[in-house]
Amino acid sequence: MKAVNQVVGSLSRVPGVVAAMVVGASDGLIIEASEMIGRAPGATDTRRPTAALASYLYSKVTRASDAARLGTPAFMRLEAESGHICVVGARDVVLVTIVAPDANLGRVRLDMMNAAKDNR
Amino acid sequence: MTNPTVAEAWVAAPLKRLMEDARLISGVLLYPSGRAVGQFGFSNAADVMSICALTSAINASARELGRQLDGKPFYEMHHAGAERQVFMARAAAGAQEFLFVGVFDRESSLGMVEIYFSEFQKALEKLLPENQTIAIRPSGDFEGELNRSLDALFGPIGKK
Repeated sequence: MKAVNQVVGSLSRVPGVVAAMVVGASDGLIIEASEMIGRAPGATDTRRPTAALASYLYSKVTRASDAARLGTPAFMRLEAESGHICVVGARDVVLVTIVAPDANLGRVRLDMMNAAKDNR
Repeated sequence: MTNPTVAEAWVAAPLKRLMEDARLISGVLLYPSGRAVGQFGFSNAADVMSICALTSAINASARELGRQLDGKPFYEMHHAGAERQVFMARAAAGAQEFLFVGVFDRESSLGMVEIYFSEFQKALEKLLPENQTIAIRPSGDFEGELNRSLDALFGPIGKK
């Protein structure tokens, strides 16, 4: 099992990842987070609200997936105008990344899934 | 989910938003003196009275404990129970301080409550009437203040 700082470190180095976080699944609080790549000095730090809302959303998606008898969700991606939020569950934590719109999403997905597998 | 009842109309909208966004089951906004400003999720004045008195006392103790341990008062407190969780925090609007205590369950999370509470705090700051600080100074009559605020929230006892 990798240490959380290693997980965050390796995910944040994936091309296109703006920020990577390990977040408590039940409380939505950040356990470990990378710096936000490319954030202008003085610009709002969006990591905390993103972590809280992404983990909340993931818990709802898990319930929806259960209700549809599909089992535990493997990967969740939210596509927005200016990028993506990707979430993968790993026991008591969720891995959350904020990803640039032009990122290689296949690579982000694979690395997040592998990181989650290492932590299961 | 019922709308908040308030003793001061200007807190109604931000309190309702906090309740809905953070998916809180119940909550009370009060002054550190124990005087209730608004509440949701309670139908009984006695419950709100107990919560105001306890929150006021807990805030005073936690503030002093924070000062002793960390050199500054604690900002917020969280207690996770088996089913429900309690979030308690101070909110400053200008020179005026408020206390908030809210209860939530698995439909929400501490992270969510913290995020929406910081938005609530900004809304209080923005909406606080200019003459508010002068009007709410504690009179030293804790029981009288508490009863007056409860009358404003639930109506005078015996007149229903």
